[in-house]
Amino acid sequence: MTTEPAKDDANRERDREFQREALRWLPEVTRFALSLERDESDADDLVQDTFLKAYEAWHSYSLGTECRGWLFSICRNAFYKRRKREARHVSCDDAELEAMAAVAVHASASKGGYGDIFARFDLSDAIDTAIADLPDVFRDVVILIDVNDQSYESAAALLDVPIGTIRSRLFRARRLLQEALINHARDAGLVRSQAGTGPFGQESPS
Amino acid sequence: MKFIPGWMARWFSPTGERSNETKSMPMLDCGSVMRQLWDYVDGELTPQRMEEIRVHVEMCQRCYPQYEFERSFLDAIASRRRTHSDPERLRAKLLEALQAHGLSEA
Repeated sequence: MTTEPAKDDANRERDREFQREALRWLPEVTRFALSLERDESDADDLVQDTFLKAYEAWHSYSLGTECRGWLFSICRNAFYKRRKREARHVSCDDAELEAMAAVAVHASASKGGYGDIFARFDLSDAIDTAIADLPDVFRDVVILIDVNDQSYESAAALLDVPIGTIRSRLFRARRLLQEALINHARDAGLVRSQAGTGPFGQESPS
Repeated sequence: MKFIPGWMARWFSPTGERSNETKSMPMLDCGSVMRQLWDYVDGELTPQRMEEIRVHVEMCQRCYPQYEFERSFLDAIASRRRTHSDPERLRAKLLEALQAHGLSEA
């Protein structure tokens, strides 16, 4: 039978472990939360939710496994729960087609004379809006990989999907962002679309 | 005439021959490079394929502008990385909440 002092010792050891293994990732989890929530106080609440849930579930965490990914996963789930929505499945299976579609976006931008659009203009606010407007499954991969420097492999583990799915979602997400940003630049008068064509080379309706 | 940066121009000769430095590398075609460009920019390929694509991109007038376009796009996205205005306050608040849930003080 476990005595009370022994139980206290075990709890204290568990808490020390939590502080050592989980709390060290606070800056990364904060950055991740800030990329999900636009408002800083909402991000603070999300960070708190994440670590409270992690503390409660600490018995289920296996020491030595990827703690940062585990915390990101809790954070992402907490975000969707707070928003009362689930990341919906969007069919998008062909990474190669998406990679080639990126070529078309660039070709059209070059032809229109704004191939340097991302280097030339400050599109900060438009980027935030475009990322926020992405469908959930696409926003997830952009936030993990492009904003939080995760590899394809760790994003796949975190979202529990194959790497091929990560690639196709990521490439599609990037194309959607590029198109949204070019449309924004055109609407704001920063660039002009080519006469007779839309921003991506398609024929304009006459 | 299309502008070619000086460091890139050294890959070209007036006859279009490749420099000795690249003759030992297998030559990829532009289509293969374009299909793998995102993986390349993300550093997700094998070291050998990374090197093959690097060599191709640096010497190719079609692929280099595409690479620059994607690179500047990703830099713009990465620039939206935000930092917390007061991380110490957030940490203190979090520890307080965790201790209210039973975490022992360090």
